[in-house]
Amino acid sequence: MSREILSVWFLRLASQRALRRRSVAGPFAVVGRNRGSEQVTCLSMAASRAGLQAGMALADARAMCPDLTTVPADPRGDARFLRMLARWAGRYCPWVGLEGEDGLVLDITGSSHLMGGPEALMADLRQRLMRAGFTVRLGVAPTRGAAWALAHYDEGIALGDQVRARLWPLPVGALRLEDDVIEGLARLGVRKVADLAALPRATVGRRFGQQPLVRLDQALGGQPESITPVAERERPAARLTLAEPIGRTDDVMEGVRHLLAQLCPQLEESGEGARTLLLTLRRVDLRDASVELRLARPMRKPEDIAPLFAKGVDEIDAGYGIDQMRLEATVAEALPPEQVTAHSVPGDIARAGALADLMTRLGGRLGLENVLRWQPAESHIPERAFSTAAAAWSEPAAVWPDVPRARPVLIFAPEAVGWSGARAVPRRFRWRRMDLHLLEAEGPERIAPEWWLDDPAWRSGLRDYWRVQTREGWRLWMFHTPQDPAWYVQGLF
Amino acid sequence: MTYAELAVTTNFTFLRGASHPEEMVSRAAELGLEAVAITDRNSLAGVVRAWSALRELKRTAEEEGATVVIRSSVGVDPSSRQQWQRPETVSAQVLHLPRLIVGSRIVLRDCEAHILAYPMNRDGYARLSRLLTLGKRRADKGGCDLGFADLLENCADLVMVALPMTAPEDARMLGQLTQLARAAPGQLYFGAAPRYDGTDAAHLAGCARAAQACSAPMVALNDVLMHHASRRQMADVLTCLREGLVIDRIGQHALLNAERRLKSPEDMARIFAAYPAALRRTTEVAGRCAFDLSELSYEYPDEIADGETPQARLARLVEQGLRRRYPAGIAERTRMMVTKELQLVEKLGFAAYFLTVHDIVEFARSQGILCQGRGSAANSILCYALGVTEVGPEVITMVFERFVSEQRGEPPDIDVDFEHERREEVIQHIYEKYGRHRAGLCATVIHFRSRAAIREVGKVMGLSEDLIGALAGQASGWSRSGLDPERVRELGLDPNDRRLALTLRLIGEITGFPRHLSQHVGGFIITRGRLDELCPIENAAMEGRTVIEWDKDDIDALGILKVDVLSLGMLTCIRKSFDLIAGQGGPRYTLENLPREDARTYDMLCAADAIGVFQVESRAQLNFLPRMQPRQFYDLVIEVAIVRPGPIQGGMVHPYIRRRQGQEPVMLPSEDLRNVLGKTLGVPLFQEQAMQIAIVAAGFSPGEADRLRRSLATFKRMGTISTFRDRFVGGMLSRGYTPDFAERCFSQIEGFGEYGFPESHAASFALLVYASAWLKRHHPAAFGCALLNSQPMGFYAPAQIVRDMRDHGIEIRPVCVNMSDWDNTLERRPDGQLAVRLGFRQVKGLRQEDAQWISAARGNGYASVESLWRRAGVPPVALEKLAQADAFADLRLRRRDALWQVKALRAPKPLPLFSDLSQEEGIIEPDVNLPAMTLGEEVVDDYLSLRLSLRAHPMELLRPHIPNLLAHERLTTAPLGRTSVCGLVITRQRPGTASGVIFLTLEDETGTSNVVVWPKVYEQFRRAVIGGRLVRINGYIQREGQVVHVIAQEVEDLSWMLSRLSDPEGPQKPETWQSGPPAPRARHPREQAKRLFPSRDFH
Repeated sequence: MSREILSVWFLRLASQRALRRRSVAGPFAVVGRNRGSEQVTCLSMAASRAGLQAGMALADARAMCPDLTTVPADPRGDARFLRMLARWAGRYCPWVGLEGEDGLVLDITGSSHLMGGPEALMADLRQRLMRAGFTVRLGVAPTRGAAWALAHYDEGIALGDQVRARLWPLPVGALRLEDDVIEGLARLGVRKVADLAALPRATVGRRFGQQPLVRLDQALGGQPESITPVAERERPAARLTLAEPIGRTDDVMEGVRHLLAQLCPQLEESGEGARTLLLTLRRVDLRDASVELRLARPMRKPEDIAPLFAKGVDEIDAGYGIDQMRLEATVAEALPPEQVTAHSVPGDIARAGALADLMTRLGGRLGLENVLRWQPAESHIPERAFSTAAAAWSEPAAVWPDVPRARPVLIFAPEAVGWSGARAVPRRFRWRRMDLHLLEAEGPERIAPEWWLDDPAWRSGLRDYWRVQTREGWRLWMFHTPQDPAWYVQGLF
Repeated sequence: MTYAELAVTTNFTFLRGASHPEEMVSRAAELGLEAVAITDRNSLAGVVRAWSALRELKRTAEEEGATVVIRSSVGVDPSSRQQWQRPETVSAQVLHLPRLIVGSRIVLRDCEAHILAYPMNRDGYARLSRLLTLGKRRADKGGCDLGFADLLENCADLVMVALPMTAPEDARMLGQLTQLARAAPGQLYFGAAPRYDGTDAAHLAGCARAAQACSAPMVALNDVLMHHASRRQMADVLTCLREGLVIDRIGQHALLNAERRLKSPEDMARIFAAYPAALRRTTEVAGRCAFDLSELSYEYPDEIADGETPQARLARLVEQGLRRRYPAGIAERTRMMVTKELQLVEKLGFAAYFLTVHDIVEFARSQGILCQGRGSAANSILCYALGVTEVGPEVITMVFERFVSEQRGEPPDIDVDFEHERREEVIQHIYEKYGRHRAGLCATVIHFRSRAAIREVGKVMGLSEDLIGALAGQASGWSRSGLDPERVRELGLDPNDRRLALTLRLIGEITGFPRHLSQHVGGFIITRGRLDELCPIENAAMEGRTVIEWDKDDIDALGILKVDVLSLGMLTCIRKSFDLIAGQGGPRYTLENLPREDARTYDMLCAADAIGVFQVESRAQLNFLPRMQPRQFYDLVIEVAIVRPGPIQGGMVHPYIRRRQGQEPVMLPSEDLRNVLGKTLGVPLFQEQAMQIAIVAAGFSPGEADRLRRSLATFKRMGTISTFRDRFVGGMLSRGYTPDFAERCFSQIEGFGEYGFPESHAASFALLVYASAWLKRHHPAAFGCALLNSQPMGFYAPAQIVRDMRDHGIEIRPVCVNMSDWDNTLERRPDGQLAVRLGFRQVKGLRQEDAQWISAARGNGYASVESLWRRAGVPPVALEKLAQADAFADLRLRRRDALWQVKALRAPKPLPLFSDLSQEEGIIEPDVNLPAMTLGEEVVDDYLSLRLSLRAHPMELLRPHIPNLLAHERLTTAPLGRTSVCGLVITRQRPGTASGVIFLTLEDETGTSNVVVWPKVYEQFRRAVIGGRLVRINGYIQREGQVVHVIAQEVEDLSWMLSRLSDPEGPQKPETWQSGPPAPRARHPREQAKRLFPSRDFH
């Protein structure tokens, strides 16, 4: 039985993927950068109808079509999406490979009859994709090359003896040749596949290299061409079935240790560490209980992970007992094996690990995203000179930049002191229900609002900050707003 | 209370300073400062601007009394302060104007203090300028590399203020400053600038101690960066541009506050309350700097003199020239004019300048480089006698002295055009003769223009690419006014949105800011002494060029002479024509001995047969020629000047034509103006005439008239028609002119403000018009050939030039490996006519070197592709290009067969072992039968490699497929009314003066047609009008005399037909787009066909 290869060409992959997320009325295009200039790389149907062409400079496209909407290209997103489509296409056959950046190739030999033959399969595929918003061109042939040619130049099915008849009138571009080869051939008047096939092989090879000949042979089946299916990655997991139901925390923990001993080598093999682990416990009444463990850093040492499960396991209602356990690493991140060198101090690694374990434990109670860390931020405005970030997903700042000007230890929201006097620092003022007397003041440091933002707190205009020493012992950070006269305290030294 | 600000950074410290020098000066005047020093970073680029601004203020003050109204944007130069819109005016009563101190902020590579240096006298200035030159010549373009040692050597005659950039008591810095103080006793001061960061008390105390330690008295500064606090935003934006940041990530780079602005003496007194001496010392320092830019006594080189004074030598050379020009004797009137001009030149001391120009021109002559002078002084009899121009005094009506007036004290202006391919020789000659230390090109200040401003500021403000693109798109054509809120609203944006409003305001503010210095196209400054003592010199981006820091306006303002060494393609073409004619055994022509006033040449121009002729070959000129009917030289002068924005805007074109055609009587507005307007039938056409009207009819003084011209552009930008207009119109009315005429004159002067075309320029150009027209009429083959050899230049592509030659019955022969040279050549036909052989230069992508090898190794011709490869040794890539150009036809090889053979050569060079042809190893290949080419394919391939085809016009092949077309040649005779024409688009134009009308020129196999597309039609058929290569126009014919237009009603883009031109099945409309584009991957020459027929669009 001859092979049946289906080639699928998504002719507007990038633009239709973008349109799926946000529908746009009117012409639409995806814009990519090419050698410093912006070009439209993929057009919607409406944009093509408006006369635009892929590869046009964005400026030209705009001149021709002023109401063009654009989004920036996302080739990695497109590639991810294509892999997703490849997984989806697994419904038709197990053997699905990628074809360039915008196509799939399916080996439907032996599986097409399940859908009622290749025609019915094509119709089904086309309809489902169309419903999802994608336009495709399809071709079925005994070879990958011929299927590609049909998909791109002459949709349809060509099996057995029909292949030559279908390929012969197509342009040589249908053979997946390099652009300059196509151009060179065309200049010689060799436009169709038939023209190329008619030339003596040696003369073609001498002038254009082996590529055209190889491609021709591949299309006609004279030379094999394989399809590499997209590899499906499995999540590391381990399971344990117990002869007798268990219910004691210690027993469950022993089970966890057992599972970890199976799971961790899998992680090690793929050079990964678990970031999220899911422990599923099947009770004898067929109800599930589960414990999710989110780790502050990727880990794969059983003895380190096991204790972290203790709290979660402790809270589980074992009911009539548990007879099956399953542990899965739902999120894993790269964790290359660490090199132990003469210089590395074992304590350092241990300390970093201890902090991460602390975050994991705190996160187990508070939620990992509620464990925060200070980060430096660049701004003259005191309130904006730092920020906070979730500790588990950020790195500590290597260096905190020097603040050239003295800053208080404690900063709080400005508190008015009920004095609006002019330039000089008030000699006597009331703050937090205390009467304070000025001893010494240093300043002013004049800070103007960040004009590009509209911060309500800074609507009162620029601030003159003073370091104020009071007779009562308080060292305050005070400011005066000359454009809206008032005095405030904002910090303590 | 007095204070002088000694550290002012203007925006000539590029991407740092946030105010124009002019703004600094006027703000300083408002604040009543004693003096203001302009100290840009390692530069003197901004000082002349400030100096001119101050001079202008002074003049206003003198004219209008002690109380002046100062505009913050006063003293603005029209050519460089484009798009400046600052409606705000600040009034202040000024009793005292600040003194300007020239200075520079010297940033050293190995010193923590910046040294502000001010020359005390001319010597100090020379030293400073030389020091900066030293640093600049060491560094790359725009940089400056100076060390502390350099400063130590060059600190005489300079007052210096050291401004610490680190803690004031830094030991190393103090050591260096002590050393400097010792080297320049009494000249060094220690600058203390408040920082407003909460530690000023300690900082100033530190400065005082440091000043003590290195015995440099402390002086108060504010280290000014902006003239007004509102420029803090601009300063931050500039910082972002400099550092490549987005405003939201500027962080600590932002200014802490806006205190680094010009401050009043009272404010400064408060800050320096504890250091009154430091404050008082500012005026002391200012007082010591007595140098003023007007001292820059500038002398033109005169070593050519040989013991003879320049004036005597000039007189002698002029006398010689006159005898040569007028062998029959010199007319009395001419003699008188010469004497007068010589006297004037002597009085103003410009003799050396004329001699220098003469020397450069002489050099060009001796090298056989064609050149011609133009410019206001160029049309003097002196220049005619010296051979700088060929325009005789009898042609010109305007008098020399009006342009070299004593009163204005401005230098004469002579531009010399040289052949564009050989100008570099002249430039190198100047460097060689005068030396790099005495000759330099002047700079051009590159400003932020609205489009660049939108892009750059938009990016800094974090607008999306799309939005920036849209805004920039709107700016085209409105570049002068920045961005109009109305247009923003049209884009569907809210101009009240905070971010957007901020951005738009900043864009408006930054336009007109200098961005960097570039080199002027050819303005040379040559001095007698050292040039680097006049102005710092820096390296240009181009290898072997040096540029001074000042641009031509600065040069003008200081009264320094420059010679413009420009390039002109037509001169190359004319010289090549002369050579070709002589080479074919014809007479040796020069611009001087061409037959004058040749009737047949004028006949040709009257018939608008002017493709390739200088200046008058554009579409507008071709339309105008038949109406103008030029019959004598002066008509050409008018022709050149009239189709210009100035006269068109002033509505002068139609009255002139009506009068010329006798449809309207020639009426002079008054007898006074007979001298001024007589020659142009009572209609002012030239810039000088407009100025003369201001003087004669509106009662302006010559100086005022000139100021009017210079400042017009500014007024327009300010959006206010100011006092000048009232004075002008009022003056004319009071002298009895009609309001209508007065208004028209003024609006024409407005137009001239930017696109002025003086009579003297027009006359010089007209001479080239005549010369090229004469050549085209009498030696069409040589002229066409020279035109092709001088490409790129002019208005038309080679295809149109070749076509025009063929229309004139000249045989064009194809490129041939056995006959062609690199250049196009002339070949004598058996019947004695000349034919043009296309040269290898027409073949796209072929290198000149390869082509020259081919002609050099040709011998008796090549017998085969292989022999050409072996003998000429050119790489197969070049042979491929030749095969594609069908250059092997002579060897009985069709294009494809030749290509097939070339493709088989893989090695870049033949191996020496097999170089003997008789021993060829030879691979026996089976015969290959390549498909024969259709005519359409041949034409497309011709265009692909030559950009033209001698076989057929694409339209000829397509015509059968497009029904109901009128051939272009029949447009002149077809009945008026609806018609349909089709052709390749060769030009697209949207003149600024035509309010959005687009003109297309279409070409078919019979001729060309002019299509007018009104804005409404354009909106409807936008895509076809902008993007179409082959278009069909449905519309109606409009005829006026010989001028025919097709007014478009429908425009259809038929470019897809071109892509099917070479398809054996013939053109078919592509399937509808419903199912997606047909196989976009097939990048086939046929798909490229669209790119094959390029047009000149909107240049």
